[in-house]
Amino acid sequence: MKEILLEIIEYLKSKKVDYADARFVSTIRESISVKNGEVEALSNNEARGVGIRVIAKGAWGFASTTVVTKSEIKKAANMALQIAKASAMTIKEKVTLCEVEPYVDIFNTPFKEDPFEVPLSEKLDLLIRVTRELKSHKSIKTADAALDFWKTNKVFVSTEGALIEQNILESGGGYTAIAVEGNETQWRSYPNSHRGDFITGGYEYIRELDLLKHVDRVQHEAVALLKAPPCPSLEATIIIDGSQLALQVHESCGHPIELDRVLGTEISLAGGSFLTLDKMNNFQYGSPIVNIVQDATCERGLGSFGYDDEGVKAQRTDVVREGQFVGYLTSRETASVINQTSNGCMRADGHNRIPLIRMTNINLEPGEGSLEELIADTKHGYLLDTNKSWSIDDKRLNFQFGVEAAWEITDGKKRRMLKNPVYTGITPEFWKSCDAICGRSEWHIWGIPSCGKGQPMQTAHVAHGTSPARFNGVKIGVSK
Amino acid sequence: MIGKDKIFSTLSQVLKKSPSEQTEAVFIGTSTGLTRFANSYIHQNVFEISGQVFFRVALGRKLGVVSTTSLVKEDLDRALLTAYHIAENQPETPGFNGFAPKAKYEKIRTHYPSTASFTPVQRAEKIMRVFKIADKKGFTVAGSLATGESEVAVLNTNGVEAYQPFTSAATNMTVMGDNSSGYSEALSREIRKIDFTELGEIATKKCMDSKDPQELPPGKYTVILEPKAVAEILEWMNYTGFGAQSVEDGTGFLHERSGKKIMGDNITIYDDALDTNGMAAPFDFEGVPKKKVYFVKKGIGGDVVYNRIAANKAGTKPTGHGLPPGSGSSSFSLNTFVASGRNTLNSMISNTDKGILVTRFHYINGLIDTRNAVMTGMTRDGTFLVKNGKIAEGIKNLRFTENMLKAFSRVKMISKEQQAINTWWSDVGCVVAPAIMISNFNFSGKTEF
Repeated sequence: MKEILLEIIEYLKSKKVDYADARFVSTIRESISVKNGEVEALSNNEARGVGIRVIAKGAWGFASTTVVTKSEIKKAANMALQIAKASAMTIKEKVTLCEVEPYVDIFNTPFKEDPFEVPLSEKLDLLIRVTRELKSHKSIKTADAALDFWKTNKVFVSTEGALIEQNILESGGGYTAIAVEGNETQWRSYPNSHRGDFITGGYEYIRELDLLKHVDRVQHEAVALLKAPPCPSLEATIIIDGSQLALQVHESCGHPIELDRVLGTEISLAGGSFLTLDKMNNFQYGSPIVNIVQDATCERGLGSFGYDDEGVKAQRTDVVREGQFVGYLTSRETASVINQTSNGCMRADGHNRIPLIRMTNINLEPGEGSLEELIADTKHGYLLDTNKSWSIDDKRLNFQFGVEAAWEITDGKKRRMLKNPVYTGITPEFWKSCDAICGRSEWHIWGIPSCGKGQPMQTAHVAHGTSPARFNGVKIGVSK
Repeated sequence: MIGKDKIFSTLSQVLKKSPSEQTEAVFIGTSTGLTRFANSYIHQNVFEISGQVFFRVALGRKLGVVSTTSLVKEDLDRALLTAYHIAENQPETPGFNGFAPKAKYEKIRTHYPSTASFTPVQRAEKIMRVFKIADKKGFTVAGSLATGESEVAVLNTNGVEAYQPFTSAATNMTVMGDNSSGYSEALSREIRKIDFTELGEIATKKCMDSKDPQELPPGKYTVILEPKAVAEILEWMNYTGFGAQSVEDGTGFLHERSGKKIMGDNITIYDDALDTNGMAAPFDFEGVPKKKVYFVKKGIGGDVVYNRIAANKAGTKPTGHGLPPGSGSSSFSLNTFVASGRNTLNSMISNTDKGILVTRFHYINGLIDTRNAVMTGMTRDGTFLVKNGKIAEGIKNLRFTENMLKAFSRVKMISKEQQAINTWWSDVGCVVAPAIMISNFNFSGKTEF
């Protein structure tokens, strides 16, 4: 395939394009869903193809094909060229890309155990056992468990001389118990909701999750929520667990720092950003203890890779430093607008999608102490745990999240459980109210394989390192 | 486009070699161009040719599912064998009682060559027309225009041979001012039916009318929801309540409410895939003919949609709402309609003393309390205060949090005009909705713009 791609790039050079790159992507996904002890869905999906990106007459064109023969790829290259010429009909300024070193390299995700080599029967047995045990209580109407694995081979070639091959392996899973009585329905999940937690790595993570060990607690909590009193509506001190805080970082920090959003190119669908260009190095995003980085290099992060889909090497850069907003997620095109170099955040959802600026691992750096110590330090508040619902405005200011469960904290102790907790706020006010972040021992990188953006819709695999943190004066219990 | 004959001959040859007693093949192919624009220039312009073949192999009640994007004979043979080995190595699938039997399908025209052959240059020309309209007022435009064709084929060893080609043209545009924006969109199987000048004018007027938006405190207001806003709510009702799984799991709002009063007498919501006012399709991804299903009829809770497995589990018949293989027992309404009323959007405005007109929502989430269809979301791109029967001024965006069963019990007026609203599955469906007026709609929060 490398040879064909190199030939296509030479062909496009002969057509005097300003720039071109070609990506071959081949992905195998195994997805297993078990419900109430029986197989709900089990599929093995293979997709492969080539996407060609061209700048001609100063404008972009892109075409893709699933037929990976030289003649069909050449047809796609010609189509990309034609499309670029059509784009040029509306051009205001020619596309400029910042400089990048043309790497020739191979990157492989480190892992211990290939999930595709683990017998299917072993994976099924695990999920069947988990869901049967969850379902053993009469109030658990549904027990869902899932495992998902992806193996991706990518080859990137550009007119600038880059030739990069990457082999990325991703693994994850989890389960949810749904308790139902009358009109009441309650969820509890492990290790996270929405099909679980995910990493770049192998089946060793599924073993580490020790899914069976947490079944009793999850079942008990789901059932207990049916009888729990509702979360009250008031302004309160809240402690947010790591998994929910990961989604908070995702929605209120990860998306608004995407520079393509800031420059308006996502406005019609996903929206814009309150973090406008004038705010970089000039805006108090959070309290002084809030430090956020984008880090595509961290071990096991679902947003980790060797190179982005423009051939830019994975990096770690500051986003928020001591509460100050200091940096965006960029591409080669958008970085040039702010006179920077790209920090390597362009990724595409397969060969048939154009790369967009996507989150990598957007991590809230740990503070100090344990969750137990943070609860002990809280006179009155609420501990909010595991995401259930999410919503935020199109500039990422007003948010509202629902979580699976809450516990009231009084005099430093975790007390009664509360159902249907919801909290809402305005992004910078919320992060400025953060007065404590737990330390490294509580820190975990939560993988989210379902971040949507773009037209046609693309789904990215991203992650967020977080530890539980405390926020003051937050409006809770506003669901009705 | 590969075409019916080639797809049938390729896949039937593979099916003949299947070592299993029952095998199904589904082909989904697309050839689509999409032009995206922002700040009144094209910043992304893409074209995709793709095809995916799914095989489902059954060994008794054991199922194996595999998909591949390769149509090379050897790859297809290998994929089929992999599906067979998966089936061999897994437990039985409850509810599976074989693939669909041979059936007759409604003849519906869903493919128009003029849409299929629409070029990138033609897309640019249409969009430039809108740029000019907005530019006259000093505004810019962002949005997209997608045109293309697709084809779906289902074959199985019971003799099912279903094929349907589709075209679709979908556009949306957000006209941007300094502190306001306006939105419009259109969806059709025929590109010629989309009036880009009209869409540009609507979005530009909304942007102009919502300039310098004023702040309105959260609270309960009469609200007029345009079709796009209604469709966005319906999408979430669909995710959480119109599929068989939501009843089986006990999580949906129709669970144990069939035959019970759940909304106002004036509300009827149904799925009708054969109605060409939507994006019609004659069969589902299992080759089952589409049937009309009422979710809510004159305020009374109705049925949900079923694929074959879900129907068998529930002891009923499939309704033609199966998704592509590998989706388990998921059944989904792809052609959701809210029945029209007798009013017009203008008459709703003129009948409102004080209320809010919403063009569209952003980021609705309906997972807060699915049993009661509680949802939250933000307004965007044209939110207006209506006073004394007239649009008075633009207002800053608001967050709503509502129990939609209760809200749909307070619907005062429904427009006779309906609009087909684009969804991510618009090649084979969409949401068709009127504008509606609801009293005491709960706006629970506000934002800064």
